[in-house]
Amino acid sequence: MDNISLVLQSLISGISIGCVYGLIGIGFCVIYNASGIVNFAQGAFVMIGGMATSVLMTDFQLPYAAAAIGAIIIAGIVGAAVERLVVRPLWNRNVAIFVMILATLAAQIVIERMAYILVGDQPKTLPPVSDLPPMMLGGVAVNIQSLWILASSLIIIAALNVFFKTSRTGKAMRAVSINAEAAVLQGIPVSRMLTLAFVISAMLGAIAGILLTPTQYTAFNVGVPFAISGFIAAIIGGFGRPLGAFIGGIALGVIQSMAILELGAGFKNVAALSLLLLFLFFRPSGLLGSTR
Amino acid sequence: MNPAATSSSLPEVAQPVLDVRSLSASYGHVEALRSVDISVGRGELVAVLGPNGAGKSTLLRAIMGLIPNHGEVLFQGNALTRRKPGAAATKGVVLVPEGRGIFGPMTVLENLELGAYSVGRDKKEVERRLTSVFGLFPRLKERFKQTAGSMSGGEQQMVAVGRAMMADPKVLLLDEPSLGLAPRVTGEILDTLGALSQSGLPVILVEQKAPLALQLACRAYLLSLGRIVATINPREVKSHDELAQYYFA
Ligand SMILES: Nc1ncnc2c1ncn2[C@@H]1O[C@H](COP(=O)(O)OP(=O)(O)OP(=O)(O)O)[C@@H](O)[C@H]1O
Ligand SMILES: [Mg+2]
Repeated sequence: MDNISLVLQSLISGISIGCVYGLIGIGFCVIYNASGIVNFAQGAFVMIGGMATSVLMTDFQLPYAAAAIGAIIIAGIVGAAVERLVVRPLWNRNVAIFVMILATLAAQIVIERMAYILVGDQPKTLPPVSDLPPMMLGGVAVNIQSLWILASSLIIIAALNVFFKTSRTGKAMRAVSINAEAAVLQGIPVSRMLTLAFVISAMLGAIAGILLTPTQYTAFNVGVPFAISGFIAAIIGGFGRPLGAFIGGIALGVIQSMAILELGAGFKNVAALSLLLLFLFFRPSGLLGSTR
Repeated sequence: MNPAATSSSLPEVAQPVLDVRSLSASYGHVEALRSVDISVGRGELVAVLGPNGAGKSTLLRAIMGLIPNHGEVLFQGNALTRRKPGAAATKGVVLVPEGRGIFGPMTVLENLELGAYSVGRDKKEVERRLTSVFGLFPRLKERFKQTAGSMSGGEQQMVAVGRAMMADPKVLLLDEPSLGLAPRVTGEILDTLGALSQSGLPVILVEQKAPLALQLACRAYLLSLGRIVATINPREVKSHDELAQYYFA
């Protein structure tokens, strides 16, 4: 048996799933930076991504790309709804951040149950984006879906970077995260920025869900485990640091897949949570230093 | 910014641009501001003086609608009351907050651009305002790429004032711009404020360093325990002792 190529294969699949954790983690950061809220409904967006794509393809006969775009839009709308209906009323009453965080957890449960009522408990899957056979890279068989995940994630990261660095709205969102009151004083509509943060974050979650589903499956209850992985990625990166979350996601993906390879599938979560504990004990501000 | 405003002949008693009437505000049960009246007109620089905790910042924050308040704030004759936070800013009442409130990790240029946020996507207008702010503070032009947080204290205050000027204010409020600055730098910034008010811009300057503020102001309000306890004509204050009397009265 070719040990090296097995390790490399694991490494590549770890990196690619890590990218997805990274996208989910960035979703956490975007909302956290805009508001200080840790959004526990993040997993619901991941679930909606895969689920809505699958439903749009099978029940509405949409082509793959259209279904995916539709799912991303649906997730964005749900994200806006969570902000407007759940977070905003509490925000306006000046309640503690902690209360709003719990409210997002409640939103997660509500969305999950609604998905269960609408589509049932049967797992669904998506076809691979392309049906090419695994590509051979120097004797290592690379799953094409892994490459799709990698490429899409990098494009999304680049696009987010351009948005936050160069667009007027992106700069305004950064200003809100640096000093919300000073942002208000510039006439920046801080509450609209918070809605936008939920929309962006929901769309990132949905994209993660769409990328993941072909290699796994989706069901009404897949959200929470993925949200936890994204949350760990964000903590490893230094909460509130999008780039850190992405690197953290890759680190988490690689360590998980190595643990599966060396110790067995049962150690997947053990590895993830051990990594989380190590960071919380020895480097609570994460790889890049937390923003708050 | 009103570069052409110097030509206008100012009436003896200027029509107030910002007229604050019996403004009150409290933090929980603590009444920090009690029925305060102040006003500022075209070409006037008025100072608000008072010891620590007098309520100076509270006054400016209440005017901006950052904290709940009662009373009236008339801007160009229309009420600003029950305004949302941020509404005052978009109308042209612009505050340079205590501690400057600059966006430290962002560049000087980004800070200035954000000051003109309400301009929207009109790039030409933003450029025009940038040119005028760079005229006011040439140092900012030299350092436009630097992150604002890495500038010296004085330069950061220039970023804060420059960012406020990017909004093309109709009234400029400043909360202790001299805080923590060397006397020379303070002088430089106060001179700029003096020039701005000379050109027609109404300015409300909150200061603890009374002698500095009195050199520029046409009127000074003395705030103590949330009330205006005296309105001072700076030309009639002959000595520091006389001022001290007000403080300890
Ligand atoms: N967020 C707050 N919560 C409770 N009390 C406050 C708060 N902010 C200010 N106060 C109180 O209100 C009063 C006025 O405070 P304010 O900051 O307006 O004073 P100030 O004149 O600006 O003082 P300084 O010169 O030190 O800046 C003080 O007694 C202060 O303790
Ligand atoms: Mg103060």
